[in-house]
Amino acid sequence: MSGAPTSADSGFFGRLKVLIVEDSKEMRNLLTALLETMGVVHIIETRDGESGLAAFARHKPDIIITDGAMIPMDGYEMTRAIRAAGDAEGANPDVPILMISGHVGRDKVTHARDQGVTDYIAKPLSADVLYEAIVAAVSKPIHFVEKPGYRGPSPRRSLDARRS
Amino acid sequence: MPEHRLPSRLGGQDSKDGDTPPDVRFIRVPSIAERKLGREYVAPMRLDPRVLDQMQQTIRGLETKYAEALKSQVAMLQILVEPACKGDSEARGRLYSLAHDMRGLAGTFGHPMVSRFADSLCGYLENCEAEDLKDGTVILFHVDAIRDAIENPRTDAAVTLETLEALERLIEANRRDRRRLG
Repeated sequence: MSGAPTSADSGFFGRLKVLIVEDSKEMRNLLTALLETMGVVHIIETRDGESGLAAFARHKPDIIITDGAMIPMDGYEMTRAIRAAGDAEGANPDVPILMISGHVGRDKVTHARDQGVTDYIAKPLSADVLYEAIVAAVSKPIHFVEKPGYRGPSPRRSLDARRS
Repeated sequence: MPEHRLPSRLGGQDSKDGDTPPDVRFIRVPSIAERKLGREYVAPMRLDPRVLDQMQQTIRGLETKYAEALKSQVAMLQILVEPACKGDSEARGRLYSLAHDMRGLAGTFGHPMVSRFADSLCGYLENCEAEDLKDGTVILFHVDAIRDAIENPRTDAAVTLETLEALERLIEANRRDRRRLG
């Protein structure tokens, strides 16, 4: 990390709209507090994939941070639905989706990647891992694969869980 | 506006000639930062140490509040053990949900061992059969270990790890019993 000029400041984050999809109230509070510290002003909170999907269409977020395991709809199914949404009334189906999960087994990470998750963050969460993941997600150009039945980050890329 | 590319011009594994079905397209979409900032965008976007420092302060500021919540959650776990073991599915679900929250959050707020014990408890609850729960020993021992880790956060890590291994041995012994008894 350097002290060189950067766009990763509150001026930039203040322009972002972030959707949090998380069933734990404590985790939502933590994420909201950290995003506000970064300078994010527009934060939408929802409790499961179903309400997350509705919020995606309604609020058109710039980035989504989601839990994996939730009921009735989990974060994997929500991600798949967003990627398949096409131009959902102006909402961006290419939106970066960060999944934060306590399940860090290879099968879960691979499953998340195959649904179109941009990056996977292991719980417990730390400030540096969250910050790095958000900056990477919003600053890297998005390379997508589009084929029958799938649109999203390449399902053949290597994806490992970011850990503290 | 998305930029459409021929597969063979994209670097990496995806670009292998002859390896891409004709109905697959590769698309490069401008990043969120490029879209939001336009000409103001300075690439590459570097991490700002001041922002990170403020985020770490935010977590430290929430630690006291979380410690209080954690105590209440452990008290609730203790209440839920008995009904969960007697077959109350709502109590079992609530117990799992609390352990799941602890697994995800306790480590962030300086209680890594609480997170490890909660992870072990979640793993047990995810894999056990309803019959296993009638004997609540495994759950009780986990809840005791979580409570002890909160009350004595400076306990030697070796002792805590030994407790964790003992819990794992107990779970394995229960599994063996279940297999033996069919």
